[in-house]
Amino acid sequence: MIKLVKKDLKLFFSDRQGIMLTFALPIIFITLFAFIFGKTNNSEEGKLVSLVHSVAGTSVMMLLFSVAGIGGSLLDEKQDGMLKKLLCSPIPPNHILFGKLVFANIISIIQLSIMFVYAWLVFGLDIMHHLPSLVLMIFTIAFACSGFGVVLASFAKTRQQVQGFSTIIVMIMSAIGGSMVPIFVMPEIMQKMAVFSVNYWGIQGIYDIFWKLLPLTDITFLSRVFVLIGIGTLLNFIALLMFKKNILKIV
Amino acid sequence: MINVSNLRKTFDTIEALKGISFNIPQGECYGLLGPNGAGKTTTISIMSTLIEPNEGKVSIAGYDLKKNPLECKKNIGVVTQEIALYNELPAYDNLLFWGGLYNVPKLELKARIDEIVNLLGLTDRKNDKVKTYSGGMKRRVNIASALLHRPKVLFMDEPTVGIDPQSRNLIFEVVEKLHKEGMTIVYTSHYMEEAERLCDRIGIIDNGEIIAQGTLDELRTSGSMKETVVISFTNLTDERYTAIVNDWNDLQRFDDAIHFYSMNIQGDLSKIILKCNEVGLDIIHIDIRKINLETIFLSLTGKQLRDK
Repeated sequence: MIKLVKKDLKLFFSDRQGIMLTFALPIIFITLFAFIFGKTNNSEEGKLVSLVHSVAGTSVMMLLFSVAGIGGSLLDEKQDGMLKKLLCSPIPPNHILFGKLVFANIISIIQLSIMFVYAWLVFGLDIMHHLPSLVLMIFTIAFACSGFGVVLASFAKTRQQVQGFSTIIVMIMSAIGGSMVPIFVMPEIMQKMAVFSVNYWGIQGIYDIFWKLLPLTDITFLSRVFVLIGIGTLLNFIALLMFKKNILKIV
Repeated sequence: MINVSNLRKTFDTIEALKGISFNIPQGECYGLLGPNGAGKTTTISIMSTLIEPNEGKVSIAGYDLKKNPLECKKNIGVVTQEIALYNELPAYDNLLFWGGLYNVPKLELKARIDEIVNLLGLTDRKNDKVKTYSGGMKRRVNIASALLHRPKVLFMDEPTVGIDPQSRNLIFEVVEKLHKEGMTIVYTSHYMEEAERLCDRIGIIDNGEIIAQGTLDELRTSGSMKETVVISFTNLTDERYTAIVNDWNDLQRFDDAIHFYSMNIQGDLSKIILKCNEVGLDIIHIDIRKINLETIFLSLTGKQLRDK
């Protein structure tokens, strides 16, 4: 499985366009949103909330797009015959999926880390005083989103379909989950619907750290962590089932 | 080395394999020949553990495919029809990856890669990304990736589709070398000249059934097919033709030429020429049409092997 992950990392870092989309594009969005939301707030707290929202909302939304792309790469491998060749080799078929999930986690962790380091360096977001909580939150958000791409891929036949599905689903989840507009300014019905989106739990966890300043051991913060782990476990389980049912059907 | 017994496979309502059986001893190159949709790829896919048969048994290198798929996988190399390579990686990294999946120790793997890229004429380009390669070079790397773990059995599913003559010849040379070294090879193709050149025995598959198998000579004789010698003359008349017919029954006249049919054309050729001289015929052209796989296939199935 390690060989599969290493191969995916090698492929990822040899693709300049992929690197730009995964790391540079979210940075551009964070910068844009931070300026737009920052201008509308005069108070210090308001500015902080704007910044935290920009970083949190953009990070989770862009992360979902990235993992959708990773799911799509499974379909590319199927279409190009790589999956067939992998299945002829002595590696257990499930390792192909686990390799993709581990790779998705690694890329997600790097992507989220870059977003927060950028926010720290450019906008002065105080990540250093909240490092343990932030690291825990980055890992759980990455885990929660990692299975999303494979689940999407298992319902699609081509990468183009994955792109189409992912755009619609990520935009809907981001809209109801608070990635675009902060959840606290939305109507009550929207706030209730938001709990069905992975974006909501990730963004609330980041609010807890930087805005509400909750400690790592706080039950509210930990509840968000557990929900994210639950979402990740459920998505990975569905990914495993669908991988066996649909993606491994190769002939 | 390979035993296939009563293999059946159905996809929805289509019966892709209708109970095929064959045995391949160690070191043999066995050709599986048939038109598109005959069942060649299904057979290879089952033997390489990609799909499960509905019925039947397969054993490879002494291991039952159903009971011990992992051991079977360790003993086989598969050259797929598709060029299954990562275009964004250099050929060397591709080979390192595919060889690594079989747990070949890294140092040994690197030595084997160097040896194989040299054999396939790719040493100068091994560090270039695969996307910069021609179709033929990609096919060669695709073959190399199946050989790194030194399998006992090699499945090659139409490995020369869409490539230039130079790459095709290189691939033939590699297959011949592997064959000489004692590797068991199953080679599917719908190019008869490939099977004729490379394979010890040939199985002809059509509509999911093996309709004939054996060496090329066995296939020639089993069909009771006759070779043809076509002789053209400058002075063929009805009287001279009648004189020939009196001595030779199996023949046909086409304008200024006579087609002589025989089970042993080499033995009969001198007799035919002698008879032609006796009746005063002046020969201007002789064309010997031997039995090849194309004619065997045509006589067995009533159709061409390749769409024309």
